[in-house]
Amino acid sequence: MYSTKTIRLRLMLLWGIFPLLLLSVPAFSQTEKISGTIINQRNSAPVPGATITLKGTERFTVADEAGKFSIDASAGQVLIVTIIGYTKQEIVIGKRKSIVVKLSEVALQLDDVVVIGYGRAKRKDLTGGISSVSGSELRKTSPTTFDQALQGKVGGVAVQQISGQPGGGVSIQIHGTSSISSSNSPLYVIDGVIIPPTNNPGNGSNPLNAINPSEIESIDVLKDASATAIYGSQATNGVIVITTKRGSVAAPQISYDGYYGVQKLPKKLPTVNLQQLASFINDRAAVWTFDERPEFANPKYLGTGTDWQKELFRTAPMQNHSLTINGGDARTQYLFSLGYFDQEGIALGSDFKRYSVRLNLDNKTTDWLKVGTSLQLANVVENVNSSSASVISSALWLTPNVPVKNVDGTWGGVTNNDGWVQPVVNPVAMALINKNMNYRYQIFGNAYAEINFTKNLSLRNEVSGNFDFSSNEAFRPQTTFGKYTTPDPTISLYSSGQNIYTVIRNYLTYNKSFGKNNLNVLLGHESNMSKSANVFASRSDFPSSNVQSISSGDPSTARNNGAYGDGASRSFFGRINYNWLDKYLFTANLRNDGSDKFPANDRWAFTYSGAFAWKINNEQFLQNVTAINELKLRLGYGLTNNQNIPSNRYVTQLTTVATGLSGTAQYQSNLANPNIKWEQTKNTNIGLDGAFFNWRLNFSVDVYDRHTDRLLLNLPLPAYSGTTAGWSPGAMQAPIVNVGSMSNKGIDIRVGTTNISNKNFSWKTDITVSHNINKVLYLGAGGADASIVSRNSKTVVGQPIGSFFGYIYDGIFATADDFKSHALPADQAGNPRPIANAQGGIWYGDRMYKDLNGDGIIDTRDQTFLGSPQPKFQFGFNNSFNYKGFDLNIFFSGNVGSKVYNELPVNQLNPLNNTNYFTGILNYAKTALIDPAGDKNDFNNVYVTNPNTTVMGLRNDVTNENLRFTNLFLEDASFIRCKNITIGYNLPQNILAKAHIYSLRLYANVSNAFTITKYTGMDPEVGSWNPLEAGYDGGYYPQSRVFTFGVNVKLTK
Amino acid sequence: MKSINKLFIPLLLLVAVAGCKKNYLDRPSKSQIASNNFYKTTKEIRLATASLYAGPANFQWHHESLLQFGDVLSGNGTTGQYNGSDNNELFAVNLSASNGIVNRGWTGLYILIGQCNSTILGIQQYAPATVPETDKNAAIAEARFIRGYAYFNLVLHWGAVPIIEDNSKLIEQPLLNRIIVPDVYKFVTNDLTYAVENLPATDVAGRVTTWSAQGMLSKVYLTMAGLGGNGTRNQAYLDSAKKYAGNVCKNSGKTLFPNYYDLFKAQNNDVPEVLFAFQWQAGVGFGGGNTWNNYAPNVSLMPKKVGAWASLHPTIDLFLLYSENDTIRRKATFMVNGDYFPELDAANGGYNYKSTAPTLKKHVIGNDVDNSSPLMDLWSSPEHDAVLRLADVYLIYAEAIMGSNTTTSDPDALLYYNKVRTRAGVDPVSTITLDELINERRIELAFEGQYWGDMVRLFYWKPAKALSIINAQNRAFFDYANGVATPDPNGPVVTVLPATASSFTLQMPAAELTANPKLADAPVKYY
Repeated sequence: MYSTKTIRLRLMLLWGIFPLLLLSVPAFSQTEKISGTIINQRNSAPVPGATITLKGTERFTVADEAGKFSIDASAGQVLIVTIIGYTKQEIVIGKRKSIVVKLSEVALQLDDVVVIGYGRAKRKDLTGGISSVSGSELRKTSPTTFDQALQGKVGGVAVQQISGQPGGGVSIQIHGTSSISSSNSPLYVIDGVIIPPTNNPGNGSNPLNAINPSEIESIDVLKDASATAIYGSQATNGVIVITTKRGSVAAPQISYDGYYGVQKLPKKLPTVNLQQLASFINDRAAVWTFDERPEFANPKYLGTGTDWQKELFRTAPMQNHSLTINGGDARTQYLFSLGYFDQEGIALGSDFKRYSVRLNLDNKTTDWLKVGTSLQLANVVENVNSSSASVISSALWLTPNVPVKNVDGTWGGVTNNDGWVQPVVNPVAMALINKNMNYRYQIFGNAYAEINFTKNLSLRNEVSGNFDFSSNEAFRPQTTFGKYTTPDPTISLYSSGQNIYTVIRNYLTYNKSFGKNNLNVLLGHESNMSKSANVFASRSDFPSSNVQSISSGDPSTARNNGAYGDGASRSFFGRINYNWLDKYLFTANLRNDGSDKFPANDRWAFTYSGAFAWKINNEQFLQNVTAINELKLRLGYGLTNNQNIPSNRYVTQLTTVATGLSGTAQYQSNLANPNIKWEQTKNTNIGLDGAFFNWRLNFSVDVYDRHTDRLLLNLPLPAYSGTTAGWSPGAMQAPIVNVGSMSNKGIDIRVGTTNISNKNFSWKTDITVSHNINKVLYLGAGGADASIVSRNSKTVVGQPIGSFFGYIYDGIFATADDFKSHALPADQAGNPRPIANAQGGIWYGDRMYKDLNGDGIIDTRDQTFLGSPQPKFQFGFNNSFNYKGFDLNIFFSGNVGSKVYNELPVNQLNPLNNTNYFTGILNYAKTALIDPAGDKNDFNNVYVTNPNTTVMGLRNDVTNENLRFTNLFLEDASFIRCKNITIGYNLPQNILAKAHIYSLRLYANVSNAFTITKYTGMDPEVGSWNPLEAGYDGGYYPQSRVFTFGVNVKLTK
Repeated sequence: MKSINKLFIPLLLLVAVAGCKKNYLDRPSKSQIASNNFYKTTKEIRLATASLYAGPANFQWHHESLLQFGDVLSGNGTTGQYNGSDNNELFAVNLSASNGIVNRGWTGLYILIGQCNSTILGIQQYAPATVPETDKNAAIAEARFIRGYAYFNLVLHWGAVPIIEDNSKLIEQPLLNRIIVPDVYKFVTNDLTYAVENLPATDVAGRVTTWSAQGMLSKVYLTMAGLGGNGTRNQAYLDSAKKYAGNVCKNSGKTLFPNYYDLFKAQNNDVPEVLFAFQWQAGVGFGGGNTWNNYAPNVSLMPKKVGAWASLHPTIDLFLLYSENDTIRRKATFMVNGDYFPELDAANGGYNYKSTAPTLKKHVIGNDVDNSSPLMDLWSSPEHDAVLRLADVYLIYAEAIMGSNTTTSDPDALLYYNKVRTRAGVDPVSTITLDELINERRIELAFEGQYWGDMVRLFYWKPAKALSIINAQNRAFFDYANGVATPDPNGPVVTVLPATASSFTLQMPAAELTANPKLADAPVKYY
């Protein structure tokens, strides 16, 4: 005999195929009809959409647009009225057939449920530092990916865009940089599916961009150890828990969100036009005595030439459509959603499309079993050609005398045959004729079964996975641009890979209340496994660009490659939450993690944390102080471990290479460190949450101290180590080393106020401020001498990680006195170079550097620390206004105190450079003779007429090394950005009701409306995946200014 | 029934958890071999040492710096403006600390050293007793030979440098001092002596033998002999140089390849004359191959007709050294107007060089069809260019015999010296002067990355002479038409500075000094 349970279990299997089969649960009919109206207690306005359930049955109904409902019930039964935003009410049915239910609005977030890792808690009962952002808050900026939208919304979370490319990467750091081996990116958990932190996804492409922001219900950011410890080894850098929308006990609802936007380049860089170029080249040729170009003989007869930025950048559209159906009855709730997102990049050769389907189901199978799934399928199609072909830097390098296309229809290019005139590819051509597409099919899936053994004890089993199948198709036809032909023959490349990450977890929860006390105990086990595989193939020599499949190329040019990878970890964990008298809250976490990344004798690590919270407002002495609604002090301490390093780095790995000696050979691709250990972070956090004046002022302050030991680092050693942490052909990968200690101390503050609130008008303000001080405490046995050098950033004890290190610029040699007061660079033997207007000499117009060690010469010992790329403060400032149906939201975010090295002008203001220039080049150091009849090579007879310029003279000599890394191009990148302005209008109910529309909102939005900054580059926000060399602006894909118009519609029945 | 169901599901899960294997966390790489599972047989050990002969380990040194130091810095020729200021600084003998070629040469040699060190330690640590001791020692000797070659180049170019024998020790102690020059030389001779004693007398073509090690060691001793000599050389070192070079000349059984011109064709890779050559393979892509075919003057000489960005032009100074009948070596070394190369671009009837600007021929081996090498591309020429040839050792032998004198008529010296000349089709001589010997080496080994090392060797004991040779050079390019060479009236492409004593020691790369300020300290002893 089959029980109903068995049948239902079988039906569950069909969910994936017939999601809507279970939706039609008929309402029973018996007894008499009760009707009623639901109104808002404050203003007596009808509350549409509330769910009315008959307690103890599965019978329910939903209130209509006028707040009216009817349900069959009998006297003595209880109706439960629920709707989001209002407190739940239970009404006992008396003799009346018609009732009025007054609902009161929920006061702020206190009753909000917050995800705490393997469970949920009410915000008021939290002990750890957790911040939350609602999905609707997030969507206000029309973000492409959800991580972009977190900027400035959460205190203590530093969000920086790495690339403005559609779908491009974002770096997120919670409570500072505690790790130097990796991106410091937090752990992402999406409906229980763990997305392991990604180090450098390359190409600016973002692994999280498959997630449709429209489907997000809320994001919880777990910041301190007491909150994150339960996630164990991957959670050192914090955890971002994303919860997608789910169905609820309500009538089916159909909603549509859509917008259309246009994006524009916010700022153009000041490149020279053709006339300016010609006059500069003429001036230079006069000094060089060669490189005269006849075509530039008369600059004033020339036009302005090609504006390459104008040719490359475009006004680009973007659109998003998202359709959601949700609802459910007491037994089954469902949410089904379809999403389509299409964004063209503002640079040619970049765009992004996302198609997504989501199905979330919950089924209460029996009174003791609950099962459900979250499933998302996404297809992302990205054109990353503009990033991979570096078209933005090419557009800045190509001179205006080069046409986009020649008169004969071929692509323009540099035609000057002189060896020193560098050929530059035509960026417009590269963007249009090359192909570089990423295709990704991603499935996030989670299935759970929850068993309630008793009222207090439950077991939850989850299986979840992130299945990522991606491929890249690239085709690069061999093309000639003027004198330059791309070096490789026409080539087609294809790569395909899969990354599969699966987790099985089981945990028991015991929950018991006795009197005013509450005990919650959690015990669990989790196993993670990741597997990856990829293949790569290419061929060259294609007969035509029309056929690009590998098989059409010349078989003798075939290349291929492939690799497998896998990794595993397993964990056991437990947590106790104890609430005593609703005044004193205690939490303790313990977790033991084992990881394959460490040698067998050192695989397991304990993570623990404890926290205490004191609800001061529940104390007797505050009972009568009505101004205080909430006041809670939180203390937390914990130790977390980090294992975010590549696998198998404790042994030397041998790679097969080809030689002419034996066909193949085995080459050592890394320097092993057999003593790698887990990285440890001790985290102390003190927080205070408060709400006053009838919830109109609320705040949250966290002060933290994170101390990391045994820092894991891909250690950049001097070149004599034969290793590299970056790119150096043939070098072994640098060893992963537990290199030192670092501290992060900081404070983050969030203040929310309701400035005005009345029937028609409200004004709310939210401010977040984060401040973090990073300091390296120890870097191994080298003591004070020990350093990690990466590009021109140096990490040493006592300084923040990755501080800029170089020379102090001290003007240009402009007068004879300058040669007396400034040291000269030294030759190989340490002797000062001669002062001479000849090769090998230092002369007027060369840059002066400060001789910091006073030894009379300029050499590497005259370098010093020049500043840190890390912002001192990051903040967000949000104001929202509501007037009747209108809403207005204005959001600013900003950084204070960060330094950025602006690399573009280094070359583009260099007279010896032979690519394009910025207009500042025209102010090159101009020399003149004191006695015009005198010797032009006598340094006493020469001076610079514009001594305040920073641009060198035109002499063809590099002896002075004018391009040394100095503070000259290190700029203050503080900024305030108006991230978003949105104005919306909700159409009145009385109009909508006739059209059977539940709600309809129209809005217009400007993102990145304006930026106030002193920074002269395109965008002061320069994110980086690598904290050792952050803050270099080498011509990033800038963030665009976006204007969007959108609509949100909800239909019922 | 309810309660049974409730228990049933968790029980299943318990089984699942228990089912996780104990070795669940053991995840050795599936794509790469780990060293602790390697070096188990002679064959595996030989696969490890094979990677030291070519590929990524040698790429940076070979691609970036070998010819740039050996022939551009020394005034044999240059690519003109192509390589930008880095290359021009070398040609002008005016180096800045941030010079990229100097930087990458340093990096490249230490990359090679790191690979040698790890191979040596891997064999010592993991090779089981089942591998015959002689095989083990021979493999270690191969690695020590190549390491000796790398340190020899370091000390030759930079003087005092850090010595690393176990790269993993840098994890604990990354900041090293430089080691004084005599101790670096001692380290080099220790490595090469071990190689002399443990390498076999014969092996497959391309592998180094005891003769390779003896030849290399003789050159090192000859170089050391001049250190701080102030006009004379150390006789004990000269005797060692003479002993090892003489041994190779007389006892190795090797002879010069009959035809100098054909010696540089890829089909004659690894002929017996070649004692040590890079073992490049075609088709390895960027970062692991021989890129020198790109010095070709025309893309028709390149596989798939791509590359050839930078033809390398000889200076008039080098050209004028060639005597009237020294045509074989001239044509094998650089092309001049009117030359015909039937083997280059053979499918189109051979290559006629029509330009009046002479350009490098050596290492230009033609396209993929010429070499029957379909995988050959612009990044990977199959030419095994020689690092040490028998002819080189013959000349070392003669130089060792000459010793601190500036002339010799020793019959042994003449015998081998004249073998080199006769093979090239030039007349034998009856006495040899030091100047002639220097020029003979410059011509015989032109564009094989040797001449700067010869100048440093001379500088050690006759600094004034070395300086005067460099400073007397006319580094101008020349036009060649109808048998007449006309130097470029504008002089060299960049102004050449007078070399000074400091020019013979390259600067420590600036980035390296920033990473390790201790490199600026006075060098210390190693032994």
